[in-house]
Amino acid sequence: MNAIIFSALWGVVMMFSGIATQNRKTITGLSILGLVLLLGINCLHAYGIWVIKMDTKGAMHFDSIGLFFNAIAFFATLLYVVLSGKDIENTGVHAAEYYALIFFVLTGVSILTAFNGLLMLFLGIEIMTIPLYILTGADKRNLKSNEASLKYFLMGSFSTGIMLMGIALIYGATGKFGIAGGVSLAPSTGLSVRPSFLEVGGMILLFVSMCFKVSAAPFHFWTPDVYDGAPAVFTSFMATIVKSAGFFAFIKLFDAHTAVLGDSWNILLPFVILITLLIGNITAVFQQSVKRMLAYSSIAQAGFMLFALYGNNDLAKEGILLYAFSYSLATIGIFAVLIKLKDYSLDGFNGLATEYPFLAFSTTICLLSLAGIPLTGGFFAKYYMLSSAIKAGGIFWLVIAAVLLAAVSVYYYFRVIQAMYFKTGAPSFNQPITKAFQWALFGVAVMIILLGLFPTLLLNFFYF
Amino acid sequence: MSIIQILFYLLSGLAVFAALMVLLSKNPVHSVLWLIVVFFAISGHYILLNAQFLAIVNLIVYAGAIMVLFLFVIMLMNLNAATEPNQHIWMKLAGVIAGGCFLVMLVSLASQAGDMANKTVLMKEGNIGLIKELGKILFNEFVIPFELTSVLFLSAMVGAVVLGKKDNTQ
Repeated sequence: MNAIIFSALWGVVMMFSGIATQNRKTITGLSILGLVLLLGINCLHAYGIWVIKMDTKGAMHFDSIGLFFNAIAFFATLLYVVLSGKDIENTGVHAAEYYALIFFVLTGVSILTAFNGLLMLFLGIEIMTIPLYILTGADKRNLKSNEASLKYFLMGSFSTGIMLMGIALIYGATGKFGIAGGVSLAPSTGLSVRPSFLEVGGMILLFVSMCFKVSAAPFHFWTPDVYDGAPAVFTSFMATIVKSAGFFAFIKLFDAHTAVLGDSWNILLPFVILITLLIGNITAVFQQSVKRMLAYSSIAQAGFMLFALYGNNDLAKEGILLYAFSYSLATIGIFAVLIKLKDYSLDGFNGLATEYPFLAFSTTICLLSLAGIPLTGGFFAKYYMLSSAIKAGGIFWLVIAAVLLAAVSVYYYFRVIQAMYFKTGAPSFNQPITKAFQWALFGVAVMIILLGLFPTLLLNFFYF
Repeated sequence: MSIIQILFYLLSGLAVFAALMVLLSKNPVHSVLWLIVVFFAISGHYILLNAQFLAIVNLIVYAGAIMVLFLFVIMLMNLNAATEPNQHIWMKLAGVIAGGCFLVMLVSLASQAGDMANKTVLMKEGNIGLIKELGKILFNEFVIPFELTSVLFLSAMVGAVVLGKKDNTQ
């Protein structure tokens, strides 16, 4: 409860900070302070030192993995604000409100890591996505941003409708909002107790809407347009923290429910994984804009994260934490550089290495991590995902397909590296690249490499 | 067949027919009006389920407020049958296939459902839909979700202000 209450309160503080001061540096500083405090308060809860106890009547259940995921999400947000705070300030005139909305998104994230019922799931998803609709349209003068915002809003509302329909069907079948799966109130008249048709239908609808929220194919159509149209700073936030939180909720939701779906689950999920990987990787190859390429790559990465859903074992849970962290780090790092550039196309990166070798080096590490090259965090993240699927058994062919498609992904990530190192040009920036920014990005690169060398460093925290 | 069952079938038929008419009307204004009929039929079902409060709220909020908003938007944008975008045949086909798959799934699930047979109404059974019970549940069992909804509304409000406010400084 600590994180939920504190993040909502700090959102209000950020809102009022806009009245107290017009100095954008102060506002960014205040939000960094808030994130540090939030991280600390969440850790106090995780280690049981200071916990706000509240009788949630079974609506929420705080476990260590959820709290740990909170810590990852808050830390990633902290890094994101440190790296891209300047760009958030410059997106529009409402810097304080943007930070307030980011804190509300974090409230949604902390609800999603602790929900114990479909009602809280719904609230968490909505609290997480509604601020995003606004952040997408933050660049009010830009028609593309407006279009992206409207598109995201309409399609997001539609998928929320599907989710509500699913929840209603499940409630009709079981008479409660619990996610434990439980025996249906009214078992069918068959020989054995089988889940009611309402529950099965409801689970499938929930699956569809969750696939939409994490942009898994065939429900991914909004992703490229929205990620491309939104101001790049907020794309970075959407594609990392929010997406991983969506996955966490997805896995938590289906943890106990796969039995309800029975055999159809083993057909449905591999199919979704396969086409997510295919569409994400193959389409990314043809993109000329790095921003759009990263949007497709985020679909491809979603395909990998779906393996955790299939595996559904301890390895998968460790893996999703590792994946969320390494993927968020790398993507935030690349976006932090991309935002500074004037030209988002591949050519915009031309000659970055000759002008800023240090910056180009850190960016390269981030790209290598996304591609899953050994010695970076991305390698172990992918490794955990695939090994959890192998441990669960049954889809060895899919694992091979995933490895092949990961090899395809190397191609489009390396094109950026190639542009930086082997092409000549003079990149132009929106803002001067400061020494502090370069060192911060280097810090991200160091973390990625540390994760790649010792993935247990992160996981040990979890078992501490 | 009792009077309640007759009412049930009448309302169900009306709801399905009106829902079809929403889709089939060429004129968007007619669609909205048919949608209001759907809401009335659904409210009738709520009353049959002994949920009077829900029935009234459904009428006030949906048929009253939201549909008026819909009508305003449609009239402001001056939509009519002539401006309907000409969709590609493949789009239509894809829609039919996707919707058809969903229909097949629901029908097959429904046909397997023994537990749904012979259940129409809950008239005079249970009092869960009454406003007194609703209030008790809302402030006991579901008080945490209820309070957290305020964060949702707050963020929506902040958003409305951010998007709607004039940028003077730019």
